[in-house]
Amino acid sequence: MRRLAVAAITRVSDECHGNPASVHRSGQYARKILEEARARVAALIGAPARTIVFTSGGTEANNLAIFGAARASGRRRRIITSAIEHSSVLAPVAELEGVGFSVQRLIPDRDGRIAPEQISDALTDDVALVTIGLANAEVGTIQRVAGLAETIGRSGAISHLDAAQALGRIPLDAAELGCDLMTLSAHKIGGPPGCGALYVRPGARIQPVMLGGPQEGGLRAGTPNLIGAAGFGAAAEEVMTGLDAERARVAELASFLFARLTVAIRRLSLNGPLTGRLAHTLNLTFPDVLGESLLIALDLDGIEVSMGSACAAGAVEPSHVLLAMGRTPAEARSSLRISLGWNTTADDIARAASIIPRVYERVAAAAGDSEAAVS
Amino acid sequence: MSKRVIVAMSGGVDSSVAAAILREQGYDVIGIAMRLTPDAPASPGVVRRRGTCCSHEDFEDARRVAERLNFPFYVVDLREEFGSRVIGNFVSEYLHGRTPNPCVMCNREIKFDRLWQRARALGVETIATGHYARIEQDSSGRHRLLRATDESKDQSYFLFTLTQRELARTLFPLGRISKAEVRMRARELGLANAEKPESQEICFVPDNDYGRLVEQMAKPDQVRPGPIVDKAGHQLGNHQGIHLFTVGQRRGLGIASTEPLYVREIRPATREIVVGRRAEIMARGLIARSVSLTGAGHEAPVQVNDEPIEVKIRYRHPGIPATLRLTSNDRAEVRFVEGGPAVTPGQACVFYRGNEVLGGGFIERAIEA
Repeated sequence: MRRLAVAAITRVSDECHGNPASVHRSGQYARKILEEARARVAALIGAPARTIVFTSGGTEANNLAIFGAARASGRRRRIITSAIEHSSVLAPVAELEGVGFSVQRLIPDRDGRIAPEQISDALTDDVALVTIGLANAEVGTIQRVAGLAETIGRSGAISHLDAAQALGRIPLDAAELGCDLMTLSAHKIGGPPGCGALYVRPGARIQPVMLGGPQEGGLRAGTPNLIGAAGFGAAAEEVMTGLDAERARVAELASFLFARLTVAIRRLSLNGPLTGRLAHTLNLTFPDVLGESLLIALDLDGIEVSMGSACAAGAVEPSHVLLAMGRTPAEARSSLRISLGWNTTADDIARAASIIPRVYERVAAAAGDSEAAVS
Repeated sequence: MSKRVIVAMSGGVDSSVAAAILREQGYDVIGIAMRLTPDAPASPGVVRRRGTCCSHEDFEDARRVAERLNFPFYVVDLREEFGSRVIGNFVSEYLHGRTPNPCVMCNREIKFDRLWQRARALGVETIATGHYARIEQDSSGRHRLLRATDESKDQSYFLFTLTQRELARTLFPLGRISKAEVRMRARELGLANAEKPESQEICFVPDNDYGRLVEQMAKPDQVRPGPIVDKAGHQLGNHQGIHLFTVGQRRGLGIASTEPLYVREIRPATREIVVGRRAEIMARGLIARSVSLTGAGHEAPVQVNDEPIEVKIRYRHPGIPATLRLTSNDRAEVRFVEGGPAVTPGQACVFYRGNEVLGGGFIERAIEA
């Protein structure tokens, strides 16, 4: 976690014993801390503090956005999304499909881009909600959403952007984006895990999902996670002060790593576009190896990477994002995601650049062995 | 750096204690659970049953052991390989009138083949499992596969396909201890699965209805009714498919007879189930195919031809005296010293000398009395 987030969490844990909903002075102090955190998170997207609804993370924010918009949708019974969304979008949408909503899942191009016309063409007067990831979690593709929210709004539908991946990586301005709802996550920016927020544009049509109290403007009942919110707010503030420099730093490290790996590993390919992407996400197809084996081998050698998503059993599944982008199942199974964080150093990257090709060679050799043995 | 070993973990108490023992001995343990069977369809609100391999709860149990004993743990996806090499073989064997042993195939094709390949990718040369069996190296450098000290749990039968190549790089940490000791160790270590019941069923047939599995996976024309006949060809009844029968079985024939009748032979081409009296199913020996010897790969091969051995023709079979003759590279003739029991094509026959597994094969047919 970021230094300021740790400090804020420690301070609040030590000093604050109240519930922000309580009337007494401890409660008032807790409320002050919560509202300061809210203002800081809001500032990161250039929004007023009251637009921020704290949640238990990006997943809850996505659930609140989708089910909340559906509950407020009246006769509108269609949802537009894409095939490359995070499971916390896909699963709620599928659930609504099961109770009578019709769902259109837009297919991206090979780079993971949804064309704005795909969305505008799909807009009919019965669309309740358009929910799209601003930047993709697995390949980093940034969607071209300028003017989109306005088009969606004119059709009478609610617009939701899942910005969990984009937050802290690219500048976000809620007013400029113009969307009704936007998902934010704390741990993606070096805040505490288990904390997130939904930006709700004033006047946006949305109903609560969690009931039982007036907290969070009536949109999320229950005592808020004060410590998490304080950490989120502090991380947001730290991100704000150095976003441009941090972007440049991470972009440089990522392109250095990609260049080194491309030279060392023949036929290595990058999934996603070369520009218009989150610089810190490198999704790479490693020829002739199982991503699963490479992932474990790298982990044992101290390099932590990811692949698709983990099933309940903890096994990795080929990425639905790569499949939707037109990759074959075999290609998807050979792909890994290397993510650079705010705490990734130049030394880390130098080490990765030397270890990854070496481990790849070994894994590829073992895969080759077995084919020879079989034939 | 200490020696790395991959422990194949099922979530059960045996493989968990095997991992713990190796950890105590100073190995750098990596736990790997294999995802082998297709997921049961998700049914919200329904708690899945435990007790067979590969449920999510089993992976969780294995993961908890790894967390408690502080070693890395991963799940690898071998569903495709298991589907084609073990489940596919299982179905095909039944459709050909044979009775397969999927645990032997899983060891041969998955644990000691595909898992090896994954291990090599990780730069690991040694694999350990929770099998009850022993491996000892003799003065000539040969690795001998031996029965477990706890004979009631001995699983050497399932491991006969291993040769020097595998035996030299395999560890069976439970070979010298009893099941009771394993459970005691698990309790001492505070492992949550210390009292977990044994898995009894075939892991990919959780309801034990293997007939239905075969029917689901076979082509429609492969599962058809046929006649039950006696040795002379007289029809005594009908059956719903040859896959439902095992040579030597007595129950479930649905034929009234003054004397108990047993399945004597299964003829896939004509879909005939041939039955006979007990005396008619006794065999003098058997012909084995896909024979391998544990000493294979060592410079000084062990003399097995015409040697007195003991042969086990089923896992729970006590073993009977026999002589062995290799008739080609991978075929053998086994003659029982005294008139033997019914032999079931498809089952593994494993050759022992004393406590040592010399090798084994799969029963092709009986040598009739």
